[in-house]
Amino acid sequence: MNQPVIEVKKLYYRYPYADRYVLNDINFSVNKGEFLCITGENGAGKTTLSLIISGIIPQAQGGKMRGTVTIAGLDTSEHELAVLSQNIGIVLEDPETQLFTSKVINEVAFGAENLQIPPEEIFSRIRWALKVVRLEGYENQHPMMLSGGQKQRVAIASVLAMRPNILVLDEPTSQLDPIGTIEVFEVIKELKEKYSMTIVMVTHKSEEMAYFADNILVLSHGSVLAYGKPKDILSNREVTTNAWITIPQISELYLKLKERGIDLGEFPILQEEGVALIRDLLEKRLSANA
Amino acid sequence: MPVIEYLPGNSFFHKLDPRVKIIFLLSFAVFIFTTRNFYIISVILALALFLWITSGIPIAKIINIVRLMLPIFIFVIIVQALFQVGHTNLVSPLIPKFVPLIGGRGRITLEGTIFGLVIGYRLLTLIILMPLISMTTDINTLCLGMVKMGMSYKIAYTATIAINMIPSMEEQIMTVMDAQKLRGFAVFEEGRIHEKMKAYPTLVVPMVIGAMKKSMLMSVAMDARAFGSKKTRTYIDKIAFTATDYSALIMLIILLGILSYYNFIR
Repeated sequence: MNQPVIEVKKLYYRYPYADRYVLNDINFSVNKGEFLCITGENGAGKTTLSLIISGIIPQAQGGKMRGTVTIAGLDTSEHELAVLSQNIGIVLEDPETQLFTSKVINEVAFGAENLQIPPEEIFSRIRWALKVVRLEGYENQHPMMLSGGQKQRVAIASVLAMRPNILVLDEPTSQLDPIGTIEVFEVIKELKEKYSMTIVMVTHKSEEMAYFADNILVLSHGSVLAYGKPKDILSNREVTTNAWITIPQISELYLKLKERGIDLGEFPILQEEGVALIRDLLEKRLSANA
Repeated sequence: MPVIEYLPGNSFFHKLDPRVKIIFLLSFAVFIFTTRNFYIISVILALALFLWITSGIPIAKIINIVRLMLPIFIFVIIVQALFQVGHTNLVSPLIPKFVPLIGGRGRITLEGTIFGLVIGYRLLTLIILMPLISMTTDINTLCLGMVKMGMSYKIAYTATIAINMIPSMEEQIMTVMDAQKLRGFAVFEEGRIHEKMKAYPTLVVPMVIGAMKKSMLMSVAMDARAFGSKKTRTYIDKIAFTATDYSALIMLIILLGILSYYNFIR
């Protein structure tokens, strides 16, 4: 567990033709099997950082990069995308820009075909990937005819078919409706719990961070504002205010009750935690009254 | 419903290998633009219409395509009629003599008008012929066909993705038009031609910007899936020539032979 598979050291990045760096002195590491959430205000550099971790920057997008980014021991500046993409895969925000073919089966095969994997092996990967994203039976459907959540799951399956050990998800549910969000949420949960994948997820949603993250990296104006455990980050008023993070509703309720003199004890970030704390409080009061 | 979307089917033309279809369409496209024989173009047009009907593609789609291309046909015919050199005047002068400075200039000739009509007829035939391939061939198979014919897979994918993007661009135009209608801008439904012409930028600009943004994001997504990182790639689809393909090729060669005889020898 304590073996770093992503190491970012002294990272600075500037886009082509831009005059300022969008990322400044970024340092962090992600261990094998860890779930890291990256958050921050719009324009903080979250998507850029996810593209850098995936090797797309600087391999395909150019720009000026300083510092080192290592993925599974491979320096992303020195290894081709074909090599990197077998270790790390990225799913982007908009599902429609990630679909290029006319059948789900071809979509899922796309990345594996680019890696020159033999067709028989690709078919077995497709079966596995579609099972993970719960889209078995959709092989011959046109991807554009699917719902938003289904499209995003096809995009995830397409990355999974390349068999990466690390998955980067750039705001995978931001363009989805509530049902689509739940569908994708379930898949991410399975990838974390059943397959113990190392996952880096860019998100604005604090409920998702609270539920999934082992650690949270908060970016602000291209620099690291904070890094730590979800409870430490979400309970830090200064960090959440500066990075425009809306804390989970249950945490908000805890603070409101505290303002009125009712202390639930430990700061909750998950709904179940909050429910348990409120139940304890009510039971204590009931027994005191009795 | 997008105009040139793939329509699955079981017709003779649907079942042909994409390579046969590509050879078929390219050879006729060359004929359309090299022949000076009106009848040969008509034979190709009739064949294209026959294939549309036998492939089960609704005739309404042809009407839609022709309607979309109508401004271009009219433009080509007008330009040729005005600027093509000819001896037989239909209208001369075009601008009455009493108009100061430019009066007495310009003319429309019979030769120019006929030339314009011929070019328009060629374009019409080509426009009816070309969508046959994208409407009867699945995009993955079409791409594989191009690759098997020796085209680089990067170019083949670029071409097929471009075809694939046309329906989504059409949808985008519809969305922009709906958004305009919601704000009381109904020129494209109710306006006169000059009002429509004036309003086109409001439709084209968001569409072009949207398409550029989308293509940039698509290139990132393709890079992320190692597209282009190796010289060749594998394919899960397979295509192979069947007896039908060979017979279609033989029929095509015979037809091309007959057309060539009438075009070049007689």
